[in-house]
Amino acid sequence: MKNPKHLQPQPVWNHAELLERVDNDQELLRDLLNIFKEDFPRTMRSLESAVAVPDLKSTTRLSHMLKGMLSSLGGMRAAAAASRLEELASAGEAASLKDAFVALQREAASLLPEFNAYMAEVHH
Amino acid sequence: LKILIADDDALSRRLLEKALERAGYEVLAVENGKQALDLLCKLDGPRLALLDWMMPEIDGPGVCRAVRTRSEQAYIYMVLLTSKGSKEETVLGLESGADDYLTKPFNAEELRARLRVGERILLLEDRLVEARENMRFRATHDPLTSLLNRGAVMDLLTRELHRSYREKKSAAIILGDVDHFKRVNDTMGHNVGDEVLTEVANRLLGCVRSYDFVGRYGGEEFIVVLSNCDPDFAPGRAEEIRKAISSRPIHSAKGPVSVTMSFGLLQSGEWGLKPLEELLHEVDNALYEAKAAGRNCLKLARPAVKAEPAAPPLPQSVRLRR
Repeated sequence: MKNPKHLQPQPVWNHAELLERVDNDQELLRDLLNIFKEDFPRTMRSLESAVAVPDLKSTTRLSHMLKGMLSSLGGMRAAAAASRLEELASAGEAASLKDAFVALQREAASLLPEFNAYMAEVHH
Repeated sequence: LKILIADDDALSRRLLEKALERAGYEVLAVENGKQALDLLCKLDGPRLALLDWMMPEIDGPGVCRAVRTRSEQAYIYMVLLTSKGSKEETVLGLESGADDYLTKPFNAEELRARLRVGERILLLEDRLVEARENMRFRATHDPLTSLLNRGAVMDLLTRELHRSYREKKSAAIILGDVDHFKRVNDTMGHNVGDEVLTEVANRLLGCVRSYDFVGRYGGEEFIVVLSNCDPDFAPGRAEEIRKAISSRPIHSAKGPVSVTMSFGLLQSGEWGLKPLEELLHEVDNALYEAKAAGRNCLKLARPAVKAEPAAPPLPQSVRLRR
């Protein structure tokens, strides 16, 4: 019998799982989101340039880095998109990079508001 | 306990840092493999390390391989952090010298549990090293006085002769024997005899510099080697040693015991190219003369053959033994 979980789409942000992993430390979570807010846009910009060239080596490295950041914060759908881009770049499939990058941008666009909402909530 | 985190992702570093500080570790965090390797190769560097797989400069497996080539240092327990999941990559990571691996995103409890495994391995290694050092000490030291034993003294003396010959420096061998020691054992018992030998050892050690050495040659006989000692000063130094023994009684469980020692002295300018055994025979003869002259005195060895200082090479018997 199939596990019903397989049938459920992954949430954009698995907040509960993340809190459990950081021992329910809200302050640490805020720190992590602040680091993310600083590092993520910069890394995305570098990645966009690497995809445009296309520079396969840099694309692999940067998408790997984004995958780590996103999965550390429980953004599993965006992490999966970064992972897909990393796989394509390391397999040398230059023609598919742009679409994969757009997919990553799309996932990030739905994740970031959730992070921002959380930050706004804990500040009040 | 110190632990190293090496990860180029600031977010992951912060997560690890917090989880490990909570567990009571002293955390050192770096952002590339080169910095990690530099810290791990330091003598007092961390012995537990969490290394990200992909890092600038040197990757995690590269750090593991480099650390494992340094066999002389204490064991370092290394855990690779990876978001890679394939069996081949796991095997590659472990083959590079990592002890364990953890997949990102990690669970804090699992991380701490895996590090406790590492701590147990390090504790086991410390115990083994301690046991080996104890065995090494027992193999080279006299159990009663903790001085070097005869074998260790012979090794050191061989090296000292080699060195002083090479550097054209002087050295002196002093052989001493406790006078009427059998009488101490017979009248006051062997325990007092042991106390006397222990105190004699302490006084001999108190008379020498850190780079001289003192050993128990056998029974109540002791040997002192004075490194880089001017021949003009050697008899004076030996006299000081004699007086340090005889000047005040030794306090034992059965009261004070007056002890004297007789000494023979051989100075380096007189041993030329002779074999070690012959040199020791000469200094032993001088000691015998001191005994014959009424004990509690010093006699200088009078070698039959004078030095041939200009004639290399060093004789086989004086070569370094390993």
